[in-house]
Amino acid sequence: MALLGKKFKLLEVFDQATNGQYQLLPSRFAALDDGRYLLSNEVGEYLVVTRPDLESFIRKQVPANTDFYHDLKSKHFLFDDDSNVALDLLALKYRTKAQRISQFTALHIFVISLRCDYTCQYCQVSRQTDDKHAFDMSEETANKALDLVFKSPSPAIKIEFQGGEPLLNFALIQYVVNEANRRNEKHQKDLQFVITTNLSLLNQEVLEFCQAHDIHLSTSLDGPENLHNTNRPRPGKNGYQLTVNGIKKAQSFLGHNKIGALMTTTEKSLPHVKSIIDTYLENNLDCIFLRPLSPYGFAIKNQQAHKYDVDRWFEFYKEGLDYVLEINRQGYQFVELYTQLIINKLLSPFSEGYVDLQSPTGAAISAIVYNYDGDVYASDEARMLAEMGNKKFRLGNVHTDDYEGIWLSDTLLDTLECSLSESIPMCNDCGFLPYCGTDPVYHYATQGDVVGHKALSGFCNKNMKIFKHIIHLLEDDPEARKILLTWVRT
Amino acid sequence: MKEDVIIFDASVFSIDTVKRALYRFADKCSFDIQLKDNEITVKIHTDSSDDMVARIKNEVLDQDLRDTLAKETANIRTLILANAFSNTGLIQ
Repeated sequence: MALLGKKFKLLEVFDQATNGQYQLLPSRFAALDDGRYLLSNEVGEYLVVTRPDLESFIRKQVPANTDFYHDLKSKHFLFDDDSNVALDLLALKYRTKAQRISQFTALHIFVISLRCDYTCQYCQVSRQTDDKHAFDMSEETANKALDLVFKSPSPAIKIEFQGGEPLLNFALIQYVVNEANRRNEKHQKDLQFVITTNLSLLNQEVLEFCQAHDIHLSTSLDGPENLHNTNRPRPGKNGYQLTVNGIKKAQSFLGHNKIGALMTTTEKSLPHVKSIIDTYLENNLDCIFLRPLSPYGFAIKNQQAHKYDVDRWFEFYKEGLDYVLEINRQGYQFVELYTQLIINKLLSPFSEGYVDLQSPTGAAISAIVYNYDGDVYASDEARMLAEMGNKKFRLGNVHTDDYEGIWLSDTLLDTLECSLSESIPMCNDCGFLPYCGTDPVYHYATQGDVVGHKALSGFCNKNMKIFKHIIHLLEDDPEARKILLTWVRT
Repeated sequence: MKEDVIIFDASVFSIDTVKRALYRFADKCSFDIQLKDNEITVKIHTDSSDDMVARIKNEVLDQDLRDTLAKETANIRTLILANAFSNTGLIQ
């Protein structure tokens, strides 16, 4: 007992932390709803507080022996004579969050071919069908791109094959996989492959190759047959059937977790979120990503992006998330991926590798794109913009530029510098900053400026609405909170 | 187009605080700002049906708190960041 008495101080000792003598730690806040604010610190820990509580905290008027004081102290919003260890802990957590920057580029996207058998209205890259080889990546270009891939310091490398339809140039996929594996005997990276494909050309040869090399497949599924075929027209009008057949084949041959699907939202999708989710369930997919239509490529040429605004999309997302939560309540775990991403940012110290929600931007740091012709772009969106004739974010070409020339190009360094939320007006003091990003390519595409005015930004408007909704669910809906907590990745 | 005027006492709110608050309403309003005789006069031009005067006044109060928070914690923030990146070879 005597020993314990020395180790543990009495409760009163902690309560004596002198009233009003505490020091504020760096934090930010944002209005959440009528009367409540989100208060967050540098590493993303947060409290939901009332306006009077917020003011009393910042004016250093919170009495030391209250629950609010203990919450502020334990979540590192203040420190007092008793707890200056907070500075070390915050530094450690900050370093954990910033870890991804030092690891650098993990996702390397190879645009294997621009050719495609679909004629989607919203397609974000040009599609070419006649000249078979003018729009295919060559072995020579792929080799040069692989030289750059293996210069990345990231211990984990994912090579993603995109198009057009990459399976139209399957021979090159085989070449890149074999060559990358051969080179990796020396580098010993955690190497993974993904083919983003509409599955029209999925045959036994492709499946066996995927199985032999542990390749994941990612496909597009926009919803029920009518909607899918309207959004993604294909000669023969059988796109939906080919896709769901492909999903089934891949699930049974490669395994359930080796294929995922992404959806694109169009104006026609907006009234159908439940049937879109039902389509995913019917096809034994265990997650969905309710994506907004991006303002690039054919989408903007066709004015699709302007046909519905963020508010309408948000209603679509909210209805979808409500439905997903209902499915979970019935005992089936089904995840909405954007929500999961944000839940992880809110509740874990680890940084998610999602390019759009990073500061500085994840463009070229987290992901890089090698186009079929060897041009290198900071992100997939940058490539889409280039296909519209604007090569603002072209970083170089694998045939003429080396690693240092590309990653230290003025284009990239200027973009990175302009993409630090911590120095962007309206972002720098926003309570949602630790969970958000800047997306310079989006702001350049929509406002002609990589920083952009956030009061006019669809990106800011969309994310603020989502953050507020998710925090509202976590704070005010115990059942939803219980489900959302199961989505945190450990 | 509606017009309203708000006057802030410059000894209570800094011009920077007021400007930072107004910046957030660029999607709804345009402004003329004048500082004269210790008064900050803000003329608001808007098409919005919202009560912009009340919203702007509340936002100025929030920005004032943000300024206090930022000033008070600037040194500690630098200290934490220096600590976070020490021994990483990233800073000299």
